[in-house]
Amino acid sequence: MTIFSRRAAIAVLLAPALVLLLGVFILPMFSMFVTSLTSPEGGLGLDSYARFFTDGYYWGVLGKTATIGAITAVATLVLGYPVALFMARSDGWVRGVITFVVIVPHLVSVVIRNFGWLMVLGDNGVINSALMSLGWIQRPLQLLYNEFGTIVGFVDSFIAYMILALAASLYNEDPNLARAGSILGAGRLRRFLTITLPLSLPGILSGLVLVFSLVISSFITPILLGGPRVTVMATLTYQQILITLDWPFGTAISFILLATTLLVVTVVTRAFETKRYKEVFGA
Amino acid sequence: MTRPKFSWLGLVAVCVLIGTVLPFLVIIPSSFTSGAYLTFPPQGFSLEWYARILDRPEFVHAFGFSLQLASVTAVLATIIGTLAAIAMSKYSFPGKAAVNGALLSPLVLPALILGIALLMLFSRIGIAGTFIGLLLAHLLITVPFVIRLVLTGLSGFDYNIEKAASILGASPLRVFWTVTIPLIKPAIFSGGIFAFLVSFDNVTISLFLVSNKQTTLPIVIFNYIQDSLDPMIAAVSTIVIVVSLVPIVLIERFYGLSKLFGLSERSETP
Repeated sequence: MTIFSRRAAIAVLLAPALVLLLGVFILPMFSMFVTSLTSPEGGLGLDSYARFFTDGYYWGVLGKTATIGAITAVATLVLGYPVALFMARSDGWVRGVITFVVIVPHLVSVVIRNFGWLMVLGDNGVINSALMSLGWIQRPLQLLYNEFGTIVGFVDSFIAYMILALAASLYNEDPNLARAGSILGAGRLRRFLTITLPLSLPGILSGLVLVFSLVISSFITPILLGGPRVTVMATLTYQQILITLDWPFGTAISFILLATTLLVVTVVTRAFETKRYKEVFGA
Repeated sequence: MTRPKFSWLGLVAVCVLIGTVLPFLVIIPSSFTSGAYLTFPPQGFSLEWYARILDRPEFVHAFGFSLQLASVTAVLATIIGTLAAIAMSKYSFPGKAAVNGALLSPLVLPALILGIALLMLFSRIGIAGTFIGLLLAHLLITVPFVIRLVLTGLSGFDYNIEKAASILGASPLRVFWTVTIPLIKPAIFSGGIFAFLVSFDNVTISLFLVSNKQTTLPIVIFNYIQDSLDPMIAAVSTIVIVVSLVPIVLIERFYGLSKLFGLSERSETP
C-alpha cells in the first residue's frame, strides 16, 4: 500500500456500497416516512394514521393479519419440528439431502410455488378430484380464495425458515444429555419432553417470531391464493399504493405494519427472557 | 455406519418435505401434457406447450429481460459487495460495527416497504419502470448477501500472505488479483450466483418497479395466473424452476447451501 493511504483505501473500497445504501435505501426510506406524515390538504399531519385507527374496518384488517400470521407461525412449528429433529438425529448424506430439500423450494420464486398450490387446491385441483373420484365428497371443497388457501401458501413459503431456526438450536444439543437421561431410566418421550424440547426453546421462539413477521408483510400469496376476499395489511397497502394511488395513507399503513412487527418481536422476546427461559439459559 | 431403520419421525419428516415440494411435483409433469387443459395427472406427453411460448412475445421478452437484469445485478453486486467486505475484514476503523449493520440492514426491512419507498423515489426522479431502476433495487437487496458471504470467506484469511507478496515486490493491485482474490474465490463466486438467483426470482420489489414494456418473467407469470391457468404457464414456470435450479446446484457444489443459511456442517458425533 504505497500509493494509497490506509484511509483512502477504506474509503475507495466502501464507497460504492455506501453510496448505494444512502441513495437507494436511507434517502427513500426517510422520504417515505415524510410522505406518511403528509395531510390531504398539504403540510404535515397525522391524518393518515388517525384515519386508520379511527375506523373499525382497518382494526379488523390488522386483527385478521395478526391471526393469519399467528396461525401460520404455529403451523410451521408443528410441521417443521419433526423435520428439524430428524435432521438433527441423522448425519452424513441423509442430513445433507434433507437440508437441500428444505432449502431448494424456498429459493424458487413464490409466484411459482403459489401457482403449484392453485393446481393442488383448486375446484378441479388434485385434492378435490381425488376426493370426488373416491366418492367421499359430492361437490368440490372450497380450499382456495379464502383464509385457508392463504395459510397453506404461507406455510409452504416460510416453513424453511422455521426448520432452519429449529435445526440450528437442535444441532447444539449435547448427545451426552440424552445418554445420561437414558442411563437414569428416562424413556424416549420423557427424554424428548425434559431435554430436547426445553433446549430447543430459543429456536422455537426465533422461528415463531421470524415466520410471523414475514407473513404479515407478504402480499403475493394473499393476492394469488386468498383472492379479493382476503384483505390483510400488506394487500391493503399494495392497493393504496398501486391502485388507489393514495400514497400518504398507503405509506402510513405500511409503517403501522412495521411498528406491529417490531412490537411483537420485542414483546415476545422480553416476555420469554424474563421467565424460566432466563433461568435455564442464564441470559 | 448404522443401517437405515424405520422411524416414525423420519416418516413424518418425509411427508412434510413432500408437501413442500408438492407445487413442483404438480407443475413440472403438467407442462408436458398433450391435452388442452391444465390437469394433474397430465394426459399423454408432448412439448407442444413449450413451443406455444414462442408465440407469446411478452413471455419471450420478459425472459430475456429477467436474464439480463439478473446477470448485470450479479456482476455489479459481486464487485460492490466484495470491495466492501474486504474493507471491513482487512481494516479496523471507527464506526465499523455501525457500517456493517447499516450495509446489511436492507435485508431486515420487509420487501413491501422497500418496494414502496423505491417506487416513490424513482417516480420522482423519472426512473420508475426502467431497467436502471430495477437494477438499483436489485443491487440493494443482493449486495448484503455478497458482503455476508465474502466476509465469511475472509474470516480465516491470513493477511500476512498479502504482506509477504508485497515484500517480494508485488504491487498492491497485483497482490489483490493474484493473492487475495484467488483465495476467496469460492465465496465471491457463490455470492454472485446467489445474487443472480435472488434477482431472477424476485417479485415483491420488482412488482412496484416494472412497467408494461420493461417487466420481468415472474411478474408476467404473477399477472397471468390471476386470470387463467393453462399448460403453457406450467411450461413457463418449469423453465423458471430449471433456471433457478442451476445456480442452486452450483452454490451447493462450490460453497454448500447449509453454510449459506448459517447452519454449521459439523456432525454431532462426539
